[in-house]
Amino acid sequence: MRVHLRVLALPLALLAAAGVAQANKDVEKLIANPSNWAMQAGDMYNQRYSKLKQINTSNVGKMQVAWTFSTGVLRGHEGSPLVIGDMMYLHSPFPNKVFAMDLNTQTLKWKYEPKQDPAVIPQMCCDTVNRGLAYAEGKVFLQQADSVLVALDAKTGKVVWSVKNGDPSLGAVNTNAPHIFKDKVITGISGGEWGVRGFVAAYNINNGELAWKGYSTGPDDEMLIDPNTTTTWKDGKVQPVGADSSLSTWQDDQWKIGGGTTWGWYSYDKALNLMYYGSGNPSTWNPAQRPGDNKWSMAIWARDVDTGKVKWVYQMTPYDEWDFDGVNEMILADINVKGKPTKALVHFDRNGFGYTLDRTNGALLVAKKYDPAVNWATHVDMKSGRPQVVSRYSTAQNGPDVNTKGVCPAALGSKDQQPAAFSPGTGLFYVPTNHVCMDYEPFQVEYVAGQPYVGATLAMYPAPNSHGGMGNFIAWDANAGKIVQSKAEKFSVWSGVLTTAGGLACYGTLEGYLKCVDAKNINKELFKFKTPSGIIGNVFTYQHKGKQYLGVYSGIGGWAGIGLAAGLEKDADGLGAVGGYRELANYTDLGGSLTIFTLPQK
Amino acid sequence: MNLFRKVSFVVFLLMSCTTHAADLYTVQEGYKVDPETMKGFRAWRAAACDRCHGANQQGLVGPSLIDRLKVLSKDEFAKTVSEGRLEKGMPSFKTSSIVMSNIDQLYAYLKGRSDGAITRSKVEPIK
Repeated sequence: MRVHLRVLALPLALLAAAGVAQANKDVEKLIANPSNWAMQAGDMYNQRYSKLKQINTSNVGKMQVAWTFSTGVLRGHEGSPLVIGDMMYLHSPFPNKVFAMDLNTQTLKWKYEPKQDPAVIPQMCCDTVNRGLAYAEGKVFLQQADSVLVALDAKTGKVVWSVKNGDPSLGAVNTNAPHIFKDKVITGISGGEWGVRGFVAAYNINNGELAWKGYSTGPDDEMLIDPNTTTTWKDGKVQPVGADSSLSTWQDDQWKIGGGTTWGWYSYDKALNLMYYGSGNPSTWNPAQRPGDNKWSMAIWARDVDTGKVKWVYQMTPYDEWDFDGVNEMILADINVKGKPTKALVHFDRNGFGYTLDRTNGALLVAKKYDPAVNWATHVDMKSGRPQVVSRYSTAQNGPDVNTKGVCPAALGSKDQQPAAFSPGTGLFYVPTNHVCMDYEPFQVEYVAGQPYVGATLAMYPAPNSHGGMGNFIAWDANAGKIVQSKAEKFSVWSGVLTTAGGLACYGTLEGYLKCVDAKNINKELFKFKTPSGIIGNVFTYQHKGKQYLGVYSGIGGWAGIGLAAGLEKDADGLGAVGGYRELANYTDLGGSLTIFTLPQK
Repeated sequence: MNLFRKVSFVVFLLMSCTTHAADLYTVQEGYKVDPETMKGFRAWRAAACDRCHGANQQGLVGPSLIDRLKVLSKDEFAKTVSEGRLEKGMPSFKTSSIVMSNIDQLYAYLKGRSDGAITRSKVEPIK
């Protein structure tokens, strides 16, 4: 702690000279203390697990609201605040306000609101979400919607540096949280529906200088792929990718407007010095316009944090035909797989398969459906790593202007960005899922810079022949590839899960309930409270003055709140109106706020 | 437009069945439309208007166009599409040639939806 304080006290110029190792140390030290919630996932492994246990299975039922705070912003509130010591740092959707709150008095020390061109709002169609802040070495990092990445002085809210990460006039905007690994602040880009070419960029946390940038598609050197040393899973083993692994899988120059954006949650393994993330859908949504595997859209990436060089890459959905973005978080956990202690990477893909890979080399270990409704592929062939597509649900085989019906999952996936959690206590993963299917009709679309580039019409509805709801909360065994327990939910579970040493798994629902269940038996609902609006934020916890608190943003929006409704009222075929969205309106309306819970005074 | 009207009229005369016709569009059986209105539908689809206004124009984050087209004049409609309402999240489609060159047709299609004459979002050409 002494070192940490000294570093904070140094003037900025000196801080820059303090060097590489410190940055990681500072964040590492902060996340080691469970009183803080110093990263969006609580740690660098994306586990979303807290060691705090004052609030536990025996007393969570008595939890009460401690205080609330309105962000003053409507629209979808994703992510969560950060807690560093006595300070809480909150963010909002566009206009991307930042609040620094003193937890001793619950008063604001400073507030920051960037000036952004309103033209960015429609470029974020259909919601202006932001997934939160990052913190390191006395600086708060904000990734604005207009792609500007800002470092703020955590004491004053003054801008230390800012850098432009993309061109919003071309649809290259940002919704992701920045991530701090070592001396880098790492960010991605959104805009797969605008034909944006995805990348991940690392900036120096002290001055915002670009350290490296690796694209998802294109020439090897621009992806930072070495044909000889970068590996992938081929023919049942880990092998070098070879030359032009991306270019050879696209027709002509389509890769230049071919998507593969990177707006998810990243993780980092210090021992391997690798960061992990996923790339999104290829553009357009009309597969007829981009024959080929479209590498490396829809892939899991392992990059060296110092250089950006790709250690390994694995594509989950070659030649996407359904918008199954691969951006969902990579959870790192050391678990037994097939009888061996394994440095595993566990990933719940939009395509409905739960993947377990060896994170040291990208070897495929497990790939199984985590929603029984998934029907677009029979299974993943473990040798090639490719899903075996069912012709009937292939929008490419059926062709443009044909409505392919009954595809499960829907485009928003069996899970979208809402992050799952791991509990070392049970060894299980707790996954917030969507139980939604779709009709998908692709059509020819022309690229116009800065205009939407979608090329498919979708209708989504609850998975047929099931419980009628649009979500499940599940406990998953990543070794067996099995759903251990499943709890039906009326709507998609679009909230990040928190697991704790108190034996809890907590999540929010679109109706606005914060729920805590017993991690050993998730059907045992121990706590339920109705917050002011639907929850698409992530549950987090911290301790202040010896007391544990648990909180979540509410504020309906995002694709779940508005997009889920698309086509729910079907007037063209026999399924009839299911009224999903209108029914959600019976429970909740817009409005962003934070609700903080704790146990009552004894 | 004049020619279009004439064509519509002729089509109307030729079809003795339950053709729903207006100055703007011709529709049969609720979903079969004239070639110009088809262009409007294709522009609607290409510009991905459904992402905000809903697959059935019923409104999502953007307002229901079933309702709005009852209120907006044609000029107001054209101005909104061309310039956008940025603060509210409506983009400017000024640079989209498929939208700008089919603005009349787009209006016709949406007006047909708003009037209730076109009974479903996805339309097909009159054969």
